[in-house]
Amino acid sequence: MMVMVLLVSAITGLGLYLAQRNLAATVENHLQREFQSRLEALRGVQEVRDAALTEICRTLVRKPRIHAALEDNALDLLYPTAKDELRDVMSPGDPQSPKGALQGLFYRFLDHRGAVISPPGGPDAGELRAEEEAQLGLRGLPREQQLGYLLRKTGKAREEITEVIAMTIISTDTDGAIAALAIGFKPVELGGVPAEQGIRNGIWLNGRLHSPALAEPAQAVLGNEVTRALATADRAGGRIAIEVEGAPHLLFYRQINPDSLYPRAYGVSIFPLTDLLARQRQLRWRAFGASALMLFGGLAASQFFSRRLSMPVERLAVDSEENRLQRARAEAALELTNEGLQRAIRFSADASHQLKTPVTVLRAGLEELLTRENLAPEVRDEISELVHQTFRLASVIEDLLLLSRADAGRLQLNLSAVNLSQLIEAGLDDLGALPDAPILAVETNFPATLHIAGEKRYSAIIVQNLLENARKYNRPGGRIRVTAREEGRSVLLTVANTGRPIPTAVQEHIFERFHRGSVGENVPGHGLGLNLARELARLHGGDLRMVRSDAAWTEFEARFCVAAPTSIPASSIA
Amino acid sequence: MAAKLLFPMKFRHPLTFLLLAAALAEHAGAQAVIEGRVELPKTHSAPVMIKRYEIVTKGGALAPNPPVAVVYLEGLFPQTSSLPVQQILQTNFAFVPALLAVQVGAKVEFPNLDNTFHNIFSFSPSKRFDLGRYRPDEKPVPSQVFDKPGLVTLRCDIHEHMRGLILVLDTPHFVISDTDGQFSLTNLPPGHYTLKAWISSKTTLEVPVELRTNTTLHVNIP
Repeated sequence: MMVMVLLVSAITGLGLYLAQRNLAATVENHLQREFQSRLEALRGVQEVRDAALTEICRTLVRKPRIHAALEDNALDLLYPTAKDELRDVMSPGDPQSPKGALQGLFYRFLDHRGAVISPPGGPDAGELRAEEEAQLGLRGLPREQQLGYLLRKTGKAREEITEVIAMTIISTDTDGAIAALAIGFKPVELGGVPAEQGIRNGIWLNGRLHSPALAEPAQAVLGNEVTRALATADRAGGRIAIEVEGAPHLLFYRQINPDSLYPRAYGVSIFPLTDLLARQRQLRWRAFGASALMLFGGLAASQFFSRRLSMPVERLAVDSEENRLQRARAEAALELTNEGLQRAIRFSADASHQLKTPVTVLRAGLEELLTRENLAPEVRDEISELVHQTFRLASVIEDLLLLSRADAGRLQLNLSAVNLSQLIEAGLDDLGALPDAPILAVETNFPATLHIAGEKRYSAIIVQNLLENARKYNRPGGRIRVTAREEGRSVLLTVANTGRPIPTAVQEHIFERFHRGSVGENVPGHGLGLNLARELARLHGGDLRMVRSDAAWTEFEARFCVAAPTSIPASSIA
Repeated sequence: MAAKLLFPMKFRHPLTFLLLAAALAEHAGAQAVIEGRVELPKTHSAPVMIKRYEIVTKGGALAPNPPVAVVYLEGLFPQTSSLPVQQILQTNFAFVPALLAVQVGAKVEFPNLDNTFHNIFSFSPSKRFDLGRYRPDEKPVPSQVFDKPGLVTLRCDIHEHMRGLILVLDTPHFVISDTDGQFSLTNLPPGHYTLKAWISSKTTLEVPVELRTNTTLHVNIP
């Protein structure tokens, strides 16, 4: 019992542990998907904003005044013109819009070689230090817009990352790149859109991470982590599990300016895992608590129910032991029966052969005795009776032989067309010819020819047995009614006799071997007739059954198959 | 405006117009004539059905298409007292004529015949101006006086494809050739001059000429 309890506890514990682990993994996956979807959302915002900025820049670089300044030898008018043309972009704009997402912070023109054209001075084009301005320059002017990130000082100790979109200006006259316009915007990663709670965004540029939401040391550590990851792993993007301020975080990085001539920059998003861990811990405790509770509950319940259930189970065990014994006995009996049956079959086969000869010898001896003249009449009667008995014995042996052959499956009929009507008539003739035949009225109703599929000698036995029974079990002065008719594919022969009805309890046994009706203890017979007749009827493809047995009539019905017309010999039909 | 009323049909043919203008401006008693042909760059563009120029760029140089040349005589000439007011129309979103040659000090009006705003401006060093946006019914018709020689590129701030050229010349003797390059300058004073042929914003050909009274000089450039 104790082992059982321990085993159940162990299995339950293991199952719950696995379930808890599975659940924890699901929670983690769910959270990661959440991170990914937030990243996707951020990316979506970036894409929309980039598209907006690109459109703004494209409109600007098509301005005829800017083209005129560049193409009509009026560079001195370039920045003054741009001041007008970029007024909308550079103004703080709609206070309702996300703060400064589309607001330009500075702009510079690049000449046809990609070098920066410095503005004449003043704050109109946005303040940039000389080295910062130099970083805007490109090696040549590609046709596609370039996305870059620029680190610039905005105060004494303050630095800020700026997103730079450089759009090439294509001459409407020559269709060649004549200049480019580079505009600085506040990056969406750094507050261009509001970040969700707990998630910190930043930009990795030139080996350093810039994230206003993180302390300087953390920025330095994470910057190095990203640098290391980029040196070994996928340069397009990836994720790292890291520790920030002693708590586990997940860091996602993704290049935000692929195919750009500007230095590579990576958008970095840091998700705290503290929530996840807390949730997992809580989940684990809940799982363990629930499992312990369930286990103890289960054990208590099992104790209770096992006591309730054990008694009937024990009873059941006793019963089943008895059943087992009974079954064994029954099987043994069956085995015996089977053996007996086999023996009986063998016996019938052997005995009938072995007995036939002695019976013949016996009858010959008895008949020899009868021929002696000095026999007293009572002795003669005795011997006559004995001779009669030998006939009976021979008949039994004959029947047994036939039955044993049927049982052994060695009796096969050569079916041909047999005129049943003839057989009936012959049988009735024999009946009348018997020496001690009682006076019986015979009623017949059958056509002159009625062909069945059978083998004459065996078909005759059926008819004879039925007629003999009808005679034997009749009452004195009784009646026999024989009818035969074709019905569909069958021929039905009914033989009925008057006399005492067969009791219902006995009816089911009348076809058994060696059964003799209780009504006929004084009637000669050996109880094989009906059994043999039925076996033979079945061998004919038909059957034999008792139709009724009441005060008026006891009636048997034999069913035969109608002979196939081709197999009917011409002589039989006549 | 008088010219427009007097020559409403010829107004659209700058060559004729300029010849007339040159003849009107000429002093009585000038005798010399230069005739000739300027070898113009080949063009593969389709024939211009309405016989007017448009300004195209080839190799960064602005030139009229089909090509024509502005042939002018450079030298010291007495100041012209009064110059005719000329016009460049904005019609069907194009400058007509696309190329105009004027003498320094000439006033050019820019009527807007389109049913929309135009905004003509020039950042060219010889003349920077910006007429701002105006409608067809703008009165008075916006105009500019071109007081420095040089090439002025006209643009429209609203329709970036529009281009026009005004060649401001410090001479009263100039003519625009036909599209075969044929030209004829009449009523020229005798003397030594330089005959120039402006072909594009980057190409101006020149040959020295000596003009004599009552003679016709045949010059092929180059």
